Amino acid sequence: MWMRAVLFGLALAAPAAGLELGATAPKADVKMKNVDGRELTITEIAGKQGTLVIFTCNHCPWAKAWEERIAALGNEYAKRGIGVIAVNANDPKTNTADGFDGMVERSKQRGFQFAYVVDSGSTVAKAFGAERTPEVFLFDAGGKLVYHGTVDDNAENASAVKQHYLRDALESVATGKPVAVAETKALGCTIKYY
Amino acid sequence: MLATLLTALILTAPPTPIAATPAQVLAAVKDAKAKAVVVNIWATWCIPCREEFPDLLKLRQAYRDRGVALLLVSGDFGSERQQVVDFLAEQGVDFPTYLKSGDDMQFIDAFDPAWSGTLPATFIYDGAGRRRASLFGKSSYTQFEAKVLEVLKGD
Repeated sequence: MWMRAVLFGLALAAPAAGLELGATAPKADVKMKNVDGRELTITEIAGKQGTLVIFTCNHCPWAKAWEERIAALGNEYAKRGIGVIAVNANDPKTNTADGFDGMVERSKQRGFQFAYVVDSGSTVAKAFGAERTPEVFLFDAGGKLVYHGTVDDNAENASAVKQHYLRDALESVATGKPVAVAETKALGCTIKYY
Repeated sequence: MLATLLTALILTAPPTPIAATPAQVLAAVKDAKAKAVVVNIWATWCIPCREEFPDLLKLRQAYRDRGVALLLVSGDFGSERQQVVDFLAEQGVDFPTYLKSGDDMQFIDAFDPAWSGTLPATFIYDGAGRRRASLFGKSSYTQFEAKVLEVLKGD
């Protein structure tokens, strides 16, 4: 344990805001409208191996920069027992691009093979303590938060990424192993709460 | 006439933002040799950043003579440098500014480990380069001024 704390001291030294590691997903039974019209909850989406909740939106340049990578990871790990749900908690009054029609279009355009839902009232985002887009929360098979943070270390240039934080965490969860780097941060847009 | 116009354009054009790591920005805080240094992290696409921007410039104007410096650090991608220059020109910025360089997480933690990375963010340093306040999200002129005055009083 001591060795682990030393090894991952950097991540432990600067904890991110929001849900604490080990916590379960709050507001997991709140129904949210999916791009296909169904009302879904995090509990219904949860996978046997784990659950990935991604707070994102349509307009934020940071969210857009990571969107293809999020789609690829979500699609890949959804096939490997991870329940995947992207959540838009932005009030579309602040930017009409974040409205439901825009979400339907974006989901099709990027080929999301996972849910992309509206967090009307930002109820779920607020309960998670999510502050920015994109911001991801990964829960293990037991429903405990094991990774919180960003996708990787280079939003602008996918080919220059050195640290694949989310991919590494997903691989660990999918294979039942501990997540090495559990908390990361990146610049991003604020969630525009309702 | 043309020469006058060109001279006016050169005089009002903002200097190209300098790519800087957090260590370089923090070195600039000390090099400013000011009584208080306001570091604002912003981006062209960030609406609250754009909204609070004029208040930061107003603050700089009002307190420059009392030893307050303003360091503007854009979090835009390097490929968006021209948008940064255009916005600075629109705002009439005629002093050096910075463009974030390097890893996001190191950048965020160098300013304040409590910062989640959302923009805008403003950090107020004293003359010795010690961080005295952090403001996350959009702030008002009154909020900026209150923090600066606290630092000036304690200097």
